[in-house]
Order: sequence, then C-alpha cells, then structure tokens
Amino acid sequence: MIDQRLYEEFRDIGRDIYVGQITSSHGGNLSVRIGDRIVIKRRGAQLGRLKPSDLIETKLNRKDSGITRASTELIVHRTIYQKTSALAVVHCHPRTAVALSLSRDEIVPIDVEGSYLLHKVPVVAAEFASGTQDMADLVAEALREYKIIMLRGHGCFSTGQMLEEAFHWASCLEEASDIILETKLLGEKHIEYRRHSESYNKW
Amino acid sequence: MQGWADKILDIDLSSGTVETYPLDKDIARLFLGGRGLGARLLWDLVGPHVEPLSPENVLIFATGPLTASGAQTSNRFSVSTKSPLTGTILDANSGGWWGMQFKRTGHDALIVRGKADRPVMIEIGSEGVIIKDAAHLWGKTVFVTTEVLEQDNNKRNVLCIGPAGENLSRIAAIMNDGTRSLARGGAGAVMGSKNLKAIVVVGNQKNQPKDRDYFRFMLYETGKLIKASPLTSQALPEFGTVVVMNIINEIGALPTRNFQQSQFEGAEAISGERMTDTILVRNHACWACPIACTRLTRTSRTAGEGPEYETTWAFGAQCGIDDLEIIAEANYLCNDLGLDTISTGNTIGCAMELVDKGLIESDLRFGRAEMLHDVIRDIAYRRGIGDGLAEGSYRFAETYGASELSMSSKKLELPAYDPRGMQGQGLLFATSNRGGCHMRGNMLGPEVLGLPRLVDRLASQGKGGIVAVHQDSAALVDSLVLCKFTNMAVAEEYFARILTAITGETFTADDLMRAGERVWNLERLYNLREGFTRADDTLPERLLSEPVAEGPSEGFTVNLELMLEEYYQFRGWDEQGVPTPVKLAQLELDKLVEGAGT
Repeated sequence: MIDQRLYEEFRDIGRDIYVGQITSSHGGNLSVRIGDRIVIKRRGAQLGRLKPSDLIETKLNRKDSGITRASTELIVHRTIYQKTSALAVVHCHPRTAVALSLSRDEIVPIDVEGSYLLHKVPVVAAEFASGTQDMADLVAEALREYKIIMLRGHGCFSTGQMLEEAFHWASCLEEASDIILETKLLGEKHIEYRRHSESYNKW
Repeated sequence: MQGWADKILDIDLSSGTVETYPLDKDIARLFLGGRGLGARLLWDLVGPHVEPLSPENVLIFATGPLTASGAQTSNRFSVSTKSPLTGTILDANSGGWWGMQFKRTGHDALIVRGKADRPVMIEIGSEGVIIKDAAHLWGKTVFVTTEVLEQDNNKRNVLCIGPAGENLSRIAAIMNDGTRSLARGGAGAVMGSKNLKAIVVVGNQKNQPKDRDYFRFMLYETGKLIKASPLTSQALPEFGTVVVMNIINEIGALPTRNFQQSQFEGAEAISGERMTDTILVRNHACWACPIACTRLTRTSRTAGEGPEYETTWAFGAQCGIDDLEIIAEANYLCNDLGLDTISTGNTIGCAMELVDKGLIESDLRFGRAEMLHDVIRDIAYRRGIGDGLAEGSYRFAETYGASELSMSSKKLELPAYDPRGMQGQGLLFATSNRGGCHMRGNMLGPEVLGLPRLVDRLASQGKGGIVAVHQDSAALVDSLVLCKFTNMAVAEEYFARILTAITGETFTADDLMRAGERVWNLERLYNLREGFTRADDTLPERLLSEPVAEGPSEGFTVNLELMLEEYYQFRGWDEQGVPTPVKLAQLELDKLVEGAGT
C-alpha cells in the first residue's frame, strides 16, 4: 500500500518537472527506495498528472509482476539503488542538456550555482539508450561518482535522499545548460570570474 | 522464395490425391497469410451446410510471408477450419518449429480434405508428399507419437493429435513439436475425424529477403524495442505469461470458481513469482524468438513444459485449486493427450458448480486437486463424466438444463479475465469471431498494463473503437504470422517495413491494418453465412446481470449493449452487426460476397 504523503511527493515533483519543461508529457520517471522495495512511476503515465494508481511498487533485488507495469527504465533505477546509496532517482529529458550531450563528453557549468552544486556532469553513451542492462550498468557506475549524469541524446539521471533533492540537480543542470547555450549564442568573450575554474573539468 | 512461396499444397485423404497450385497473388496481397489466408480459402471451400466433423470440412495449415525469414518470432503458423465446438469459423495458431519447417518445404499453405479410410499420416519434404499408414500410432499420446516420428530423423518436425482428437472431443487440440498447441475450438477433433494422426515436415528452402540490408536494419530496430520493453525483455522471460496472475487478482478480474468471484485467495500460490521460485527449471524460446517466455518446469513427480497464465488459471482459480504442482502436471497431461487447457479447465470448473448446485451427483467439487488428473484423462478417453465434458462446457451444462452456467461465448470457454472488471475485455469476448477468447485483440494491454496507454478498465464508453482496432491488429499479426507478444513492443509500421524488405513490394502500416480489418470482416461474413446473428454477440448471463460482490470491481456487470452499439458503428456495420455495402467495398470484399450470392 503506497502512503498518501509519498503519492503527493511524486505528484508534486512530477508536476514541477513537467511544468518546468524539462521533459515531455509522458517522458521521464521518478522512483524512491523504501527498504527492499522500489516505488516507481507507471510506464506511460503522464508525469505532470500522476494519480495514485500511477505508482507501482516492486522489489529491489528481484523481479516480480510489478515489472509489467513499471517504467521502462525500472532496470536502470533498480541498478542505481543496487550500486549506490541513493534513496531517490529522477530521470528526465532536459532539452538544452540533451542538445549539449550530443557534442561533448561532459557538461561543465559556467554559472555560479551550477559550478557550485554540480561542478561537472559526465556524458555517457550506450548503444540502446533505453531500458537495457548494459545502459543501466553504465549509468549506475557513473552515478557512483556523480550525483547527476547525462545519457547522450536521451536525458539525465540524478540521485538523492529524496525526490526533491534529485529533482534539484536536474533543474540545476538544465539552468546551467541554458546559460552555456545562451553565452555561446551571444558570441561575446567569456570573462572567467572563478578561481581554479580550469579544475572543474577534472571534477 | 522472398515472402510467399507462391504455392499451395492440397491433399484429399478420401481419394489419396495430392495437388499443388499457385497462390493467387491478389489473395496474398489482401489476406497476407496464416489466419487471413485460411479465412479466404475456407470461405470458398466450406459452406454453411457442412458438418464440422464430416469429410466435407477441411483443415488449412497456413504460414505467412514473414515465416522462416528470421524476423523476430517468425516461427508461427495457423490452422483454419469450421469449429466443431462453436460452429463458427475457427483459426488457431502455434509457435515452435513446425511452421518454419513447413514453410521451408516451399509451401504457403496445406489444405487437407476428405477422410482416410484408416489412420494415416502425411510426410512433406522438399522432394514430395507421402501419405502413409499410421495404424501403429493410433491410440498413442502426443509425446509418444512425436518421439516415434522424430526417431528416424530429428531434423523433422511433427504435428499430431492425441487420444482426445482421435476420440473427437470438441475441445481437442492439434499439437506440434510435442508441447506446442493449436488449442482452441476443437481443431484436433476435425483432424481425428479425418483419420489423420500426424503431419511430418522437413524442408530446405529459404525465405530470403529481397532487400537484405534493409531487412537487417529493421531487425536491429525491432530488436531494440523488444529489448527496451520491460514486458518482452524482463517480465515474460523471467516469469512467463503467469506474470499477470497477481496483477489480475489485485484488480479484481481473476475469475474464480466458475466466475462466481473475481478474486482468488490462492492467487499468490499459483503466481508467476511462485512458479519461478519453485518449479521453474529455465525458460526457453521458439525458433527466432528473443523473448523466450516458455517455462520448462519440474514438479516433485515429473517434468514438462508450462503452464501458461491461462492454463494456471483454468486449473487453478477456476477450479478453486491452489496447488501449483498439480496444475503444472495437469498441463503436461493436456499436452500429452491433446486437449485445449483453457476449455478443459473451464469446463471442469463448470461441472464443479453443477455439483455444488446439486445438478450432478459427483465428488468433483471446487478445490478437489487430487481428482483433476483423472478427470482430464476421462475427457480425453471419453470415460464416465469425461464423455460429457469432452463436448465442452456449453453442451455439458445444457444436458443438465443449466447452459447459463457455461462460462462461454459462442460456446467457446472464456479465458482468465472476469470482464466485469475489464469492460473492454467483455466486448472483445462477445464479438470474437471464434467465440470468447483473449487472443483476438487482448484488452489486457490498454485496460491493465497501459499498452499503448492506460484506459479506465471499468469504463464502457469509448471502448468500442479501441476493441475494434485491437481486433484488427491481432488479425494482422495472426496473418503475418507473428507472436502477439512482439506486438506488445513493436508497432505495425515496423511490420510493414519488414514485409517490404522481404517481398520487395511496398506495404504501409495502413495497408496492414486494413488487411487485419478485412480478415476480421470476412470472418464475420462467414459466421453470418452460418446463421449467427447479433444475439450471438453476447456473454453468459452471470456477467451481464450479477454484479461482482466484493473487491476492486465490486458492483460491476458488463455494460455490453452500450459498447456493442458503439462497436458496430465504429466497424461500419448495421445495427444487426452486418457489414454495410460501403464497408465491404472499402475492404474489397464486395465482389467476394456478391460472387457467393450472400
């Protein structure tokens, strides 16, 4: 039985992600780990309009019938929980970050907040960029070092102790990516203001 | 060959003649293969006055243009005939290896007519066809027959009937590759009525795509979808089809004790999770299938294949039995005897309710697991109460003046979904051309699993169109012939591109969906010609007037009339369920109907 407060957390964060335009109507997914179980968004449910029946409960360390209705990315969420200490995972498709992921192996924020919170976001690439064990291993391995990573051409996965925290990293990444893009569009000389900024890409 | 083999094999068992002739190219384009081709041929060959178990009925085994190409799940084939159980048009299809091997003999379809004067078998190879004496096999079970016929040459694939088919049980299956089943509607009895025990095939021809590069690309793209879908890449390989047992029970749609309840207290004990933990040895795949949903299982007494979800339900919740080993062994037994497990279990559950209501004196009561295996044997050999049960639940219950206790539609036993908790599934059962069946466009996808999107399972408005589209899609997949699980991950546009790559002719997704709709309408026309009417598009009275007493579907009956009206309108049929001339012209069926004087 899924608690009403947990449902409300999913509903509110899901709504914020959709309204914040960092995923499409049915894209993205959220999950939390509760003991040896995972609660995850139902496959095909609208992230911005989650209903109680859109939350699926399934086991962490073994498959059960929940996998027939859970998000396509369940395998990634499960592997992340198995390989990291995360208690919540957010996956969404921040469009500017996705665009940047197509031309670089890492996204290094240049704004204050992005630099402070994220330092650097690695971009990983998988042949099948959705729902496979290979991709899950790749993403989970990267998340052992970073709290948010980009899957090239697909979207980000971020972790936290709660959904809000994981959402924060995703939101921050997209803001930082927008700033990188807009700076490039301005085409003006970038005045470096951060000490040791050259070290961010070694993060 | 590139797609079609362009050849039909026609065998008359009465005269012993064997003919081959070209496959009509227009028929291939319009009806594709498998179920569609079978329906088109049956329309000409078996008219309304033919008794299903007479020599005038035919069996049509048909492959599709993708069969044996190596496309994912391109191993399947179908059999079409007039059903001795329902009196409707019937097709049943099966996986394994036989269909692929038959296609490699260089034929699209095999028509079997007449009746041999003694038990015979047919051998088909690339060099020719032989009709052989099979007296030594008559009376043998499916496993023994298959083993004997594979002994000489293990490259051959065997299709045969068991004792149930020989004894003309109306719920007898045709089996292939030992454990694969053309199950529903009693095709096994039709084969038995022809004194045909087995068909053995071995071929060496190849179905090679015209555009190999594009074909390889499409297989790669299709493979990605199958790999990315949790259903096809995780749920089915891990748990088999039984994965849905707990889910269907949880939503209050698991028919229990002959549909008297919609939740079973023993569901967990017969679930996919429990099966994986206990009797599962490993999973297994048909030819060219990346999904591998088959269960290889072992009980404390024996080993075998299966059971599927429907079978587990039929011998489980339907009979009030929660002993997974007994259920698995009942499945092995049905495979060996050549019985449709859904109809067998459903019919036994019906008998149990008749006993409960005092209409029959017997110990065969709900929950009597220890009686199950003996009753199944009695059905196959028509002994004692089994003789009546071998006729299917409707005829059996009717004998005791209680046909309303048969949970069937058009006399075909309903499968493992209580439609009071899945309204669209109710419409699907009621309008299915071969009788109540979930394989004609299963609403499990939209009403439970959210494929392609989740709809309210308890709503009835708007379901007519969804059901019709799913039926057309199922008819298409059955005509190509592919496994329906592929269709849970892969859309029609992919099938169209694969077919284009193989044949070199351009097919669009719309062409294929139209073909599916054409097949559905032709089947409907066939049934109308047989005398079926709107009144037959119905469900057992229990489901229409007895609300579910408790659980998540509490208070619901099937709102059939509303959905049926919407469905007929969507289909372009009149209010009696007859396709209009405009619809027939759209589907290029108008000349066919005029030609037949219908």
